[in-house]
Amino acid sequence: MRKNIYYSLLLSALVTVSVAEETRQVDKHEHGVGELNIAVEGNSIDLEFMIPGADVVGFEYKAKSEADIALVKDALIKFDEFNNIFSIPSASNCILVEADISINQGDNHKDEHNHDEHDDHDEHEDEHDHDDHGEHDDHGEHDDHDEHDEEAHNEFVAHYSFNCGNIKEIDRISFPYFTTFPNSGELEVQFVSEIGSTSFEVEGDEPFIDLKGKI
Amino acid sequence: MLLKLSFSSLYARLVTVGMTILAISVSLMLYMSVEKLRTSAYTSFTDTISQTDLIVGARASSVQLLLYSVFRIGNATNNITWESYLDLVSKEEVDWTVPISLGDSHKGFRVMGTNKEFFSRYKYRGSQSVSIDKGYLFEDLYDVVLGAGVAEKLGYKIGTSLVVSHGLQSFSDHDDQPFRVSGILKKTGTPVDNTVIVSLAAIEAIHVDWSTGAKIPGQLTPIDEIREMDLTPKNITAALVGVKSKLTIFQLQRWINEYPEEAMTAILPGAALQELWRVVGVIENLLLGISVVVIFTTLVGMAAIMFSSLSERRREMAIWRAMGASPFTVIGLLMLEAIFISILSITFSVVLLFCVLNLLQPWIDYNYGILVNIEMLAIKDMYVFAVFIIASITVSLLPAIRAYWFSINDGMTIKL
Repeated sequence: MRKNIYYSLLLSALVTVSVAEETRQVDKHEHGVGELNIAVEGNSIDLEFMIPGADVVGFEYKAKSEADIALVKDALIKFDEFNNIFSIPSASNCILVEADISINQGDNHKDEHNHDEHDDHDEHEDEHDHDDHGEHDDHGEHDDHDEHDEEAHNEFVAHYSFNCGNIKEIDRISFPYFTTFPNSGELEVQFVSEIGSTSFEVEGDEPFIDLKGKI
Repeated sequence: MLLKLSFSSLYARLVTVGMTILAISVSLMLYMSVEKLRTSAYTSFTDTISQTDLIVGARASSVQLLLYSVFRIGNATNNITWESYLDLVSKEEVDWTVPISLGDSHKGFRVMGTNKEFFSRYKYRGSQSVSIDKGYLFEDLYDVVLGAGVAEKLGYKIGTSLVVSHGLQSFSDHDDQPFRVSGILKKTGTPVDNTVIVSLAAIEAIHVDWSTGAKIPGQLTPIDEIREMDLTPKNITAALVGVKSKLTIFQLQRWINEYPEEAMTAILPGAALQELWRVVGVIENLLLGISVVVIFTTLVGMAAIMFSSLSERRREMAIWRAMGASPFTVIGLLMLEAIFISILSITFSVVLLFCVLNLLQPWIDYNYGILVNIEMLAIKDMYVFAVFIIASITVSLLPAIRAYWFSINDGMTIKL
């Protein structure tokens, strides 16, 4: 029994080391710069936001105090109602078919928060579990996660899929996002449709993109 | 009557007025050609690659990757391994891929190694594809296909033999393995025109006896032996990728950017181009700003010439007054003069512009690969002209008011 524990400890240490050696690259993370990818094909339009926690709630550590938890909860509710984030011309008759909002830790650990199934935000905020933090080479033991959480760069990831009756009517998408989240900086937008791809930099003073002739 | 008078008055001062008109037309032409170049450069850049969903290369900034892979400007920081490329090819989102390998040159033209699929997959100006003008695509290991520009500038024909140099500016040639021109492509107006295209296997073959950038001394593998070798590339510079569904592009892009075994970057060509244009846009605006200032300067110059001519023309104005012209008529005459000058300048500048564009077009195309489209004036130009005429009227108001005072004070008797 005791041996088993030793073995498993040894094994976990080995796994940690080997994983750490293979992947030593870190995704960029820039406060004040949110990313948005928009893809259009046929009658579908997909929007995917990746927003640094600092831009949404003003902090990026895991929410622990009640005030912070409330902030995160509030932010997730705002993301739930896409009209708070962006608006598509009504003439295009777009219907939301799928929305998926989650919090992505800086270490690729995804805190799933799927709203199709249930609406309980509290539960999700707390159930973030730490068992699969194998990638953390700086944490030999799995006890001191608090410290790690302080360093984490939380990112809000929101994915929306629409089906549109008249997709060509989408000539502009505007972003109430900037007023919904006063901490927000700019949005870097990548856009692709059958016509081709382009990119935009959107800021709060001109919170929209012009898609005339691009869909 | 007033028109005729004003016109004859201008005619009487042909040289001064002529010089003014010349100065204004040259500055207007400068403005218009900057604008023309700017729009042409943009369309020619955006038309260079279409229907490619992603470009994949070693980790680099998106603009850099776009510039070296598509425009052959600058160099790759790294190559990507063939293993990573195969991993990419096996992704289910991927519809097609075209590997390209850069790094060698021939007489200043870049040599690109790729496969035959390049010719059907690479699209420009919407959906145009590269097509063969003479000969055929490479069949043999040592066959080479030339872009139209290369063939034209070097005077190569089908069957001409050529040697590829190692690197972009080096004196070491792969002269032990000469190539033969098998095909020449039609002109595309893209960087393909200035590219020497060989197969990926050929790139591998010419580097058989090379190690870390230098020829291994004394080693010379016979060509027959090379032909028998496995010439699967060990690495490539970049890959053009098409996806099955646009909705999966970003998913695939993320997979590539986060690919753990190798640091790679995937870009959307149009998005990277737009990013580049945001940088270039600053310089464009600067150029436009300068030409606007030049126009403004010439307008001020026009006013200055009108001012200086006023004292000479006090006698002329006295005669106008004597013939019954009111002081307001004098103002009107001077403003009419300004309108005349600006309309003449505009006409002349347009003529000048078309002459210059026609003269420079082949040269710009040859040297920079930018096809300046010489077309009729756009509505936007009309706005510019209208604004210019209004500005010149405004500017002429000052000398006109002065002339008004002169004519009131002087009356018909002038003491000069």
